[in-house]
Formats: sequence, structure tokens, C-alpha cells
Amino acid sequence: MRKLFLCLLFLAIGTAQTFAQVRTVTGKVTDEKGAGLSGVTVTAVGRDAKALTNNDGNFSIQVNDQVKTVRFTYVGYESVDVSIAGKSTIDVSMNASNAGLDEVVVVGYTTQKKREATGSIVSVKGSAIANMPVQSFEASLAGRAAGVQITVPNGVLNNPPVFRVRGTNSINLSSQPLIIIDGVPSFQGDVSQNSAANNPLASINPNDIESIDILKDASAAAIYGSRAANGVVMITTKRGKSGAAKVSYDVTLGQTEAYGLWDVLNAEQYMTIKNEGLTNAGITNQKFNPSLDANGKMIDTRWIDYVYRKGFQQTHTLSISGGSAQTKYFMSAGYTNQEGMLIANDFDRKTLRMNVDHNPNKVIGLGATFNYSNEFNKAPNTGSLPGQAFATAGLGRIPLITAPNVGPYNNDGSYNVNSSGLIGVMNNQTGQVGFYNPVPIVALNKFSSENNRINSNLYMTVKPLSWITLKTQYGIDYLNTDNQTFLTPVHGDGFPRGGATSTLAKYRRWVWTNTANFDQKIGDDHTFNLLVGNEQQRTISDGFGLTRQDISDPFYSDIQGGWLTPNPAGLFRGENYFLSNFAQFRYDFRKKYFVSASARRDEYSAFGPGNKQGDFWGASAAWDVTRENFWASAGIDKIFSSFKLRGSYGTVGNIAGIGDFVSLSLYGSGLYGALGTLGFSQAGNANLKWETSKKTDIGLNFGILNDKVTFDVTYYNNDIDGLILGVPQAPSRGIPGNSINDNVGTMFNRGFEFTVNATPIRTKEFTWNTNFNLTTNDNEVTSLVPGGAQEFTTGTAGLEVASITRVGAPIGSLFVVQTAGVNPENGRRIFVNKAGRQIQYTHVVATGQSRWTYLDGTTAPAVSGADAILFGRSTPKYFGGWDNTFRYKNFDLNVMLTYQAGFFVYNGTKAGLRDNRFWNSSTEVMTRWLKPGDKTEIPRVVFGDNVSNGSAFAQSQNVEKGDFMKLRNLTLGYTLPADLVQKAKISNVRAYISGQNLAILTNYTGPDPEVSTNGAGNTNQGIDRNSVANARTILFGLRIDF
Amino acid sequence: MKQIKHSLLALVVTTGCLMSCQKDNWLNPQLTTAISDATAFDTRDRVAQQINGLYASVKSGLYLGSRYIVYNDIRGEDYNNLRTNGVTGLQTWNHTLVASTNEVANVWGAAYSAINQANVFLEGMAGKGNTVVGSALAANYNGEARFIRAMCYYDLLQLYARPYWDGNGSKPGLPLRLKANKSSGDNDLVRSTVQQVYDQILQDLDFAEQNLPASYADALTSTTRVHKNTAIALKVRVNLSMRRYAQAITEANKIVPTAAPFRAATGVAHELQANIRTVFTTFTTTESIFSLPFTANNLPGTQNSLCFYFGPAPAGGSEYPLISTGILGRPEFRADDKRRTDLLVTSTGNTWVNKYPTGPVNTDYAPIIRYSEVLLSLAEAIARTTSGVDARALALLNAVHVRSQPTAFTAAGFANNQAFIDAILMERRIEFMGEGRRSPDLLRLGLPIPGKANVPTISTTQAEYIWPIPDGEILNNKLMTQN
Repeated sequence: MRKLFLCLLFLAIGTAQTFAQVRTVTGKVTDEKGAGLSGVTVTAVGRDAKALTNNDGNFSIQVNDQVKTVRFTYVGYESVDVSIAGKSTIDVSMNASNAGLDEVVVVGYTTQKKREATGSIVSVKGSAIANMPVQSFEASLAGRAAGVQITVPNGVLNNPPVFRVRGTNSINLSSQPLIIIDGVPSFQGDVSQNSAANNPLASINPNDIESIDILKDASAAAIYGSRAANGVVMITTKRGKSGAAKVSYDVTLGQTEAYGLWDVLNAEQYMTIKNEGLTNAGITNQKFNPSLDANGKMIDTRWIDYVYRKGFQQTHTLSISGGSAQTKYFMSAGYTNQEGMLIANDFDRKTLRMNVDHNPNKVIGLGATFNYSNEFNKAPNTGSLPGQAFATAGLGRIPLITAPNVGPYNNDGSYNVNSSGLIGVMNNQTGQVGFYNPVPIVALNKFSSENNRINSNLYMTVKPLSWITLKTQYGIDYLNTDNQTFLTPVHGDGFPRGGATSTLAKYRRWVWTNTANFDQKIGDDHTFNLLVGNEQQRTISDGFGLTRQDISDPFYSDIQGGWLTPNPAGLFRGENYFLSNFAQFRYDFRKKYFVSASARRDEYSAFGPGNKQGDFWGASAAWDVTRENFWASAGIDKIFSSFKLRGSYGTVGNIAGIGDFVSLSLYGSGLYGALGTLGFSQAGNANLKWETSKKTDIGLNFGILNDKVTFDVTYYNNDIDGLILGVPQAPSRGIPGNSINDNVGTMFNRGFEFTVNATPIRTKEFTWNTNFNLTTNDNEVTSLVPGGAQEFTTGTAGLEVASITRVGAPIGSLFVVQTAGVNPENGRRIFVNKAGRQIQYTHVVATGQSRWTYLDGTTAPAVSGADAILFGRSTPKYFGGWDNTFRYKNFDLNVMLTYQAGFFVYNGTKAGLRDNRFWNSSTEVMTRWLKPGDKTEIPRVVFGDNVSNGSAFAQSQNVEKGDFMKLRNLTLGYTLPADLVQKAKISNVRAYISGQNLAILTNYTGPDPEVSTNGAGNTNQGIDRNSVANARTILFGLRIDF
Repeated sequence: MKQIKHSLLALVVTTGCLMSCQKDNWLNPQLTTAISDATAFDTRDRVAQQINGLYASVKSGLYLGSRYIVYNDIRGEDYNNLRTNGVTGLQTWNHTLVASTNEVANVWGAAYSAINQANVFLEGMAGKGNTVVGSALAANYNGEARFIRAMCYYDLLQLYARPYWDGNGSKPGLPLRLKANKSSGDNDLVRSTVQQVYDQILQDLDFAEQNLPASYADALTSTTRVHKNTAIALKVRVNLSMRRYAQAITEANKIVPTAAPFRAATGVAHELQANIRTVFTTFTTTESIFSLPFTANNLPGTQNSLCFYFGPAPAGGSEYPLISTGILGRPEFRADDKRRTDLLVTSTGNTWVNKYPTGPVNTDYAPIIRYSEVLLSLAEAIARTTSGVDARALALLNAVHVRSQPTAFTAAGFANNQAFIDAILMERRIEFMGEGRRSPDLLRLGLPIPGKANVPTISTTQAEYIWPIPDGEILNNKLMTQN
């Protein structure tokens, strides 16, 4: 692979060198006040030559005959093109730009000037998220846009981030936004069928992204109708620009490791605590004893060292772009190989992209986008993906709770495992000291999920008249996912039979879009734009596979080896189809009053006859007050350099995650012994429809100090009704799954967004650009099943309940039994039961006594999960980011802070680390209660006690505030002086070092409060249960432009 | 250029037309991997497969495939719990079940799911299926469905309702669902009394006896699908639970001759195998009146096999060995008893029921009714309706006993009628270890559930004597009452 890059590199350099240089143009660049501007990029248009102005604003650039124009660009200033015909000296004055308001945003099927947009749209430049140590682009979006909340669930590579736009907008369906890549809705979620997380959004090389536009309100998103309720994210990849071939090479090399790992007891402490527990429990036939290694030293194993590592990563992107006036191209090849912080967790991606646009004349335009990617995801059973939290092989928990006084190997070099399939106890006199030995399972088990994906489209535009554009685009997204699992018979989940599962899942989608766009101006006052369109999207998915058990010889390590049983696995088949018509109308009067309306009619195959069709719409208006005469005459323009009011309302839908055949009642097949069966398997609901979001948005954008500082304040409100819930059926009715889907629930999300963009300092040598954003979110479930239960709980990995969704409260609130510390008199954990009474617990009592007593010693009823209370919200009430870019001469520094606040995290891992069974504990357990009067959070240790700590049911002692601020990214770059690199025929070289997650400010005691054991689940967020930590990455990067 | 434009336009138009013809098909896709409820009864094959489906639904690992059998055994006094695992029956074993415990909801759900499958089937047969398959086959099929419904209700009564003797069937029984449920609504249904549920069970079984075939073409089918004698055998069990001994005798007499050799005279020729071990190695002998099959392609699933619960690792899960204070330590369970020597195994210091040795690929059949049960039930029914030691009852007891332990019981060996009955009951306990008969026997006899290890004895009046009704039923069936 690397060789290929080198070849391409040489090829590219060779190409660049064939252009000879002819003459020199010099001059000076100044600002509005005449002061010289340094660091301005001077580009010979049509050629690749570039130069930078020096401290006084002077520049010198070499150009050839073909160059007619020189372009001056500078951050925060409007760019200027100057003809150089017959000139050898040119002086230029540059004006400060209006803080990006002239940028163009993608508004669905068209683009619009950001200044004129009436909907709520936020844009992130591709450059902001390029070269980050992540697998998929959205992981880098945290804090970069108001209203957008990204939570990286944990440090497992390519585990899809929780992606929310303005809160959690569904209960049972997906709350992740619709993601559209170059006009084709992408596959989303974790497409893996085993422990190797596989987020298909990682198919896009983030370095290929030109821009990300996030449509937040109904007005902006309504053009995507039935799929717009969670917001729409438009990804536009880079395209070529006229000019000589521009070759760029990006490389990063980095190292990643876990941070914030728990401190657990060493062997000595472990034996002290456990033996004390045995004594306190009155158990005399068990004892925890030291074991000696081959050198006669006491075994003291740091299990974390056998699970975590320092991972190396490298990323390369080579791109070539350019073109003539008629034909433009962008090509790139990318390769990344990332080792995770966990042993055996790797991510490997190869991408090839080619985007071409061809305009033979003013009427016709043709173009294509082609992207092939291969991603290989490999991971052990991390116990950190949704549903895995209590997996006995889960690496989130194993290194924490396995006894430190046993080792991974016996002294003869064999694995320390016993015949029951557990880690061996060595010299301990007890039945169990851990679940699995992590060393053989990490070494011998294999999980991988590999994607081969083609994401491409072809388009043609025809402009029969200058104001009419007809466009047809056909796009495909073909994704094949190959999942491989091998479980060793030696130890772990495969013991003693071994097992292998291989499945292939194929997802095929095509989208055909036809639009007509009419752009008219009547006089200078009236500007109209009308878009009408038709779109069809068809998706076919099918999967099959094999699962085999009972290995015939431990020699085999693949499914193709010798096995005794063959069984089918991963069988599925689905198809769905959208048929849509849509229109969007925009009008403005003198760029002062703006109105816009969109409507979309979707027909969707999954719904029953008569319910397939849905109508969605949004409307908005804006008023640019600065264009009013009174504004200037009243002198308000001295304060506000810009001032725009806008508002929108509309209704959009959500169907993400609904089954393809949800409306049908079905009979499914199976086996009875050797015979085929048929049985009633699905009670469909032919009346089912989309979930509906009614969204209101009111915003104000204004700027002061000549727009050196701009503000955006927005209020949003989303009333969701017709939420699809499984209406519970009495189990005695025997309905498959005991529930039938129906449109019944309601919920709202509302809040404010604040964004400040500013350039506080701009001098010749030093600039500081800053963006701060804050979003607030109020969420409340307002109704569930009519006449049914007004609340329901959601478990973590089907075992522990710590989440409740209740009418009148935020979705997925934490639901735990209250604890009230430890009784200093006797060291017993005090609980508060449903009646508000304090009840203490001790695990072992004399015959006839009760484990549960009131504080006065009288017998009390047992406390259980039934005493849980709604503790608080699990999703952040406040979140955002603060992005700063400093430039000093050739140095640049980016400091990106993200924060979330106003929520609680259930630290279930801590419950395990306070468990009094054989489990190892966190070092805080050393502060346990020992004698009357001791004031501590840790009760008297009693061996076997799994109640006082929170293992038996979730408790408030393990709930903590999740508020945090993170130094998400810190990048220090240095651009080599232009005159220096140009001697090497290179136009630009920038080297940088970058750190991800370098620091975190929080009171949370787990590794990281930015965590989601249940992934993107809506009703069980804010849970940290046995997940691996997050990773910190340091990168060295280099970008070379030829 | 113009030509290109035109041909491109033509292409777009043609493609557009082709696609528009497809649109209706795409908007109304036909699922090719499952069968619509509109056509499920359209062919004889589909109806036949639905019959198999009914058996498959009771074979669920949560129900008769393993767990129901396991729970009914481990509630009793004969097993220890090694794993203290909440998801593998710990709370059933130590009687700490609550309405939210998994198995409380799972057994209820699996049995009622099978009941609804039977009801959906009966409705579909009445609507179309009877005509499709013809009246002879239709009668058989309807008989099978009603047998399955009756069996499910009977099994549910054994855990979720007070025994029949308590108030003579007047205690709350089960919501009696007899109509097909295929869509929303109809959640609320009051509990029928125990008596009413038993009445329905017997009505279904009488129908089944009349309509089921006498036998099937091969031994496998005769074991894995129900026939006349299966209905009779289940009626013996049901009547015994109701303490209707005369009726139990009447039913049993249909398939048990008055004197040895005991072999069913009509229908499938049920008889005891010479060696009890044979029953657990050859699953389709005539002793197995009804068993549920497993194959390498149709396995019970993780933590759902009898082997997993009763067997030691590596074949099983080392969950429930026999405890020394239980049957294992009883003098009546003699050292030379074949059920000890051939059907128990010792591993890692524990003794395990070895009736389901095949593992880790668990292909042992789940036994539902064996002929030896009919014999012992008949013996008990006779003993309870006669005085002293009835000769035929003694012969029946000895038929079961002597094949495993050579010392026959003699009339003189019993002090009185009660001692004789006790011997029959002890024989049942030994004979059906690992077959889920213990808890139903304790309950029908009105005996406390004896304690074991640190688990206390449960008296007949304690709430723990039966299972609670699952939360989900209480919550969603407004007319439901908790036990």
C-alpha cells in the first residue's frame, strides 16, 4: 500500500514539474486602513503557484503566460481577483468579510447563500474535521455546531457515536439524523453482526468532505419529508476546480491510549479485603492466598496491562484535483490503519474517490461521483457495545474484577484456566476468582466485520434557458458486510466446543432524483426560486450465513475448518421503496423580506394500503432589518452591522428503524425436529403511520463591530406526536412479542441555541478566531399508551434496569433506589425505600434475624428494585463547544473545547467495583468501615454481598453528575515559509501535532462521563456499565500541496 | 450534440416508463420469506406445517423444551443449586420468585403463546383449512390443536393457580382464552376458576380422544405427535391432579390391561421397555407416549436444554446436581437400582441426573408423558379407592419397580394402605427424576415443599407455594388478579 502511494507521489511531482515558470509579479496587500496584511495567500489562477505576503504585506509570485489573474485570499477577508495582464506590480486592498455570511449552504436539492437562508441550517467545513483520529466524520462534529450533540460512546473503534440534533426525538425509532452523502441517503447504525463495531459512515474518508450542512428546523428539513424529524445532515464531497493539477498529500502518524482507567486493588490489598469479608461473613472454609510465579515472587497481576495497549495509527490521503474550464476532477486515495487502545481492536480503511464534472457548453452539464471503500473492523468482545454490558467475556469488566493474585499463565507456561471454563483459582481456596482469563480469549477469539462499499452517482443538468435548470441524478449505495466470528474451544465463550459464525449482509440502494429549478428575478426587487422534483429510492437487503459448533480438532481456526454442526445464521431479507414528489419555493423582496416554503409527499412501502402516503411541509420567513431605511436613519447601524429575524414552522416525519413489513400479519417458518413448521409470527398493524414532528423555530442573527462579532440566537420547539410504541398486549393473549406497534405517544423538545462568532484580534501577525456555541434542551414525554402504563423501564443489556421513561419526565431518566450512605455505628449500607423509610442492610445475619432492619434494629421489609425512584435526566440539558484558532506568523493553533452539562450518569461499573463477591474492587474500598464511628462511603465488607454495592439493583450511590468540559482537540501547526518550499517546487507544507481528548474537567469518578453503554438507544442513555474507557490520541501530521 | 441530447432524453423517458410500471410492485412488496395470514391455510402442506408449528411452540426452551420441566423438578427437594445464577432458575429453586422474575413471565408467555397458536389454528381451520384438508384429516388436526391447548392450560394451572383440592377448584384459575388473537384489543379477561379451567381441559381432551388418529405410520411420529392414547394418558394425569381417582382409573383402563404384561391394547401399543435406560437412548420406543424431538439442526438453544440444567460440564452446565438430603440419600432409592446405576453420573464431587447425557450438542428428546407414569398413576388411583394393598395396583407398581430394581414389593411388606400409597409415590419420585413431575405431585398431594440446603420448607398455605402472576399480565389485563 505504501509503495503505491510513493509511486503516485512521484507521478504527481513529475506532473507538476512539467510546467515552467516565466515571470515575476510583485506588490503589496493592505487592509481597508492601508496597513500591510501579512500571511495573505496569493494564488496564480489556473496555475498552482502560490505565495504568501510578508510582514509588511509585500509579495512576490512567479507566473507563466497562461496566468491571467491572481487571487488574494485571507481568513476573515473577502477574496480579491486581480488581472495581471501587462502588469508586473499590483497593489491590492482587501475588505474584511462579513463573518462567513456569504458562504453557500446546501439546502437539500439546491444551494443558497447563507445570508439569505431563512431556515435553521448550520455548516461545518470539511477542513475542520479532516485529519482527526476518528473513524467516521461525525465523531469530530462535537461542539462544532449549535443544536448538534455528539457523544462518543466509548473507546471501541468505529462504535457509532450518539448523534442528536436538538434532543432525542423518538422513543422507539431512531433519533439519529438522516445522513445524505452527495444526494444519496447513507446506511447508518452499526451494521456489524458481531463484536467488531462497524459504523458504515466510516466509509467516507473525512478528508474527502468539502462541507457538512445540518438542516435543523422544519423549514429547512421538510424537503426530506418523512425522514426529516431528527434533522438532515448533507455531506458534500470535494470537487475539482479549474486550474492545473493540484496534488495534496496528507499524512498523520499517531499513538492512542486509554485514559482515566480505574485504580483497582493489588494482590495484597485484594487478599486483605476478601479475607476480611470472609471473616465478617463467618465463612471459614474459604481463603484467598498468594500464589507464586516461576521465580518465586508473589503474583500481582495488573490485568489492565493485558487488555489495553498503546495503539499506533497512520492515515494517508493523496488527492489530485484540477481541470479545465469544461472538465474538472477531484481524485483521492486514502488509507488509514488505526490500532485501538484495546488489544486486537483495529480499524483499517482504504478509499478511492473520483468526482468529475463536465460542462461541454452552457446548456449541458454532466458529472459523476465515485467512491469505493473497504473497511476492516476487528475487535475482541469489548463488552461495550449495546447489549454486551454483562457479557462474561466483555473486556470492559474483566480486567477490573479479575483477582489480581492469580496470573494469566500457570508456571508451566500454560493458560491459567480450569475445567469449568473459568480462570483458574491457583492457590486461592475458593470456587471462583474471575470469569474468563482475558489472555487466551483475546489471543484466540476473532471477531471482524468488513465492508466493501460503492457509493456513486451520475448526473446530468440541462439549462434550456438561463433561468431553468433541469437535473437528473442516479445514485447507488451498495454495501456488503462480511462478518466473521471464531470462538476458541480452549477458553471463554467457545469453551469447550468452539464455535464459528460467518455471515454476509448485502444492502443495495438506488436513488433516482429529477428536479427542475427555476430562478427568476423581476427587476431589482423580486427574486424567485422554485424547485420541483421527483425522487425514488429503493433498498434491498439480504443476508445469510453459517454458524458451526463443535470443533473436530483444536487446530482449526476458521469456519471452513472441521466442525460437527452446521446451522444457518444471519438470514434476513427486506426491501423498501420511497416514491416522493417535492417542491420548494423561495422569494425575496430587495433582499429585505424573505419567504420560503417546502413540501414533500412521500409514499413508503412499509405501511399498509391507504397509509403509505404522507404530506410534509415547512414554511419560513426572514427580515433583514438592516435594509430598512429607519435602521440607518435611527443610527442603529452604528451598533448592529447586521440584524436578521427569522421564523419557521412545519411538520416532518420519522420512520428510521421501522421494519420493512411492519404492516403485515405473517406466518413464519421453523423446524420441529426434522419437519418444517409454520406459525403465526407477526401481528401487523395496517394502520401504522409515520411519527410526526411539528417544529417551530424563531431566530435572530446580528453582528456588531462591522460583523467582527456575530450572534445567532434561536428558540426551537418540537412537538412530536404519533410516536410509534409497542402497545403492550396482555401476555395471556399470546400475541408474538406481546405488543403491537401503534402511533400513540407524544413528546417535546425545546430550547435555545446561542452562537457567537468573533475575531477578537486581528493584527498583521496575529489573529484569533473564535466560535462559541451553547444549546439548551428541555425534553418531556407528554403521553404514552392511552389507558396503559404511563411509564416503562428500559434495561441495560437486558439485565439491569436503571432507566425509566415516564409521562411528565425527560425520556430515559435514571431510575435507581436511593441510598443514604453508611451507618457509622455498624457499617451497614442505608437505603431509602419507597415509603421514605431508611433501611439498613447486612448480608449475613444469625439464624432468625433479618438482613433488612430499620435504623433502630427492628425488622424491615426488604428493599428491591421496586423501591426505585426517578432520579434525574440522563441527557445533557446544556451542551456545546468553544473553538479557537490562533495564527501567529506561520504558526497556527487550534483549541477545541466541548462540554455537556445538566445530566446524570449511572456509573454501574462502580457498582461492580464495590462488589463483595470474588470480584476485585476499586482502591476506594480500602476506606471501608472498620469500627463504630467510622464515617465512610464503603460499608463493612461481607463476602458475598452484592446488594450493598448496587450489583443486585441499581442504586443512587452510583449515580453521579456527568457535567464535563473536554479539551477535545488541540492542534499546533507550522506552515513552512513559502519562499523556502517553493524552491523545492512545493507550494505549501504544513506540519502539525494534534492531541485528542488531552484533558477533561469533571467530577465524574469513572473514566469519562461522555459514555453510552447502550449506544444510540433513546430510553437507556446515560449508562456507564462495564464499558471500556475512552482513548486519548496524539498525532503528528504533515500536509504537502504541490 | 443535439443527437446526444435527444438520445439521452429518450433514455430517460424510456427508463422512466419502465420504472413507473414497477412502482406499484415496489410500493406493495411481497414478502418472500414469510407467509401472509391471508394465505396460510391455502394448501394442505401449509396446514400440515402449522400442525408441526403447534408442537414447535410448546417445545420452546422456555416451556416444555426444558425450562418448565426443570422448574418443576428444582422447586422440589432433590436438587442443589451450584451456580447461584438468577437467569437459570435460582429463584425458582429457593422460592424467591416475584411477579417481575424472568421465568414467571417467560413460562406464562410461552404457554399462552402456544395456546394462541392453537386458537389461531382452530379459527383458520374453521374458516378455510377444514375444507382444504378434507374432513378426516381436519378432525385429526383439530384434535391435535385442542390437545395442545388443553396441555398448556393444565401446565399453567400447576404453577400459577392453587391446586384443585384447595376449595375444590373454586380458587382463581387462569384467563381462559379460547379465541384467536391476531390484533390489538381484548386485553381484559377475568380469571376463570380452577374448576372451569379443568372443565375446559377435559372437554378439549375428550374432543381430542375422539378425533385423533389411533396411531401414525412410524414410531417417530407416534412419539412426537399426539394420538388417541396420548389424550387418554394426559386425562389420567389431569384427573389425578383433580383427585378424581375413579375417572383416572376409567381413563387408564383404556390403555392398561387388567393384568401383566401391561401393554396398550388399542392404538399405539405402549409398554415398558426392559431397561429404563433404553427410553433415554432410543427416544421413540412405545414407552414414550409423547416426547419432543431435538436434532442437530433444531437444538434447544443456550441455557435451554435439559442437559444444561441437569448435566455436569462439559456436556451440561453444572447447574443442578442432586443433593444428599433429597432422593439421593433415601434408603428406598437402592444402590443397585438401575435408575441410580444407569441414570446418574458422578462428576466433580456431585451426582447428576444423567437422563440427558448428549451434549454439548443437546439432541436428547424432552419426555412429556411416559407409559410408566400411566401405570403408577393407575396404581395410585386404585390404591386410593381400595383398602389395603390391591393386587392389581401392586402389580402395576412392581412392573415399574422391578425392571430397575429386582426386589419386588409384596403386599405383606406394607403395613397398611397408606404405606402402599407412599411406596407408589416414592416410586414416582425415583422414576421421574429430571422429568418435571415432582412439583405437580407435591401440590396435588397437598404436601409442603420440603426445604433443602439453606432453602426453607414452603407450607401449603404460603404464597410461595405457587408462582405469582407475572407483572405484564396484571398491568395489561385490568381484570387480572394477583395470586
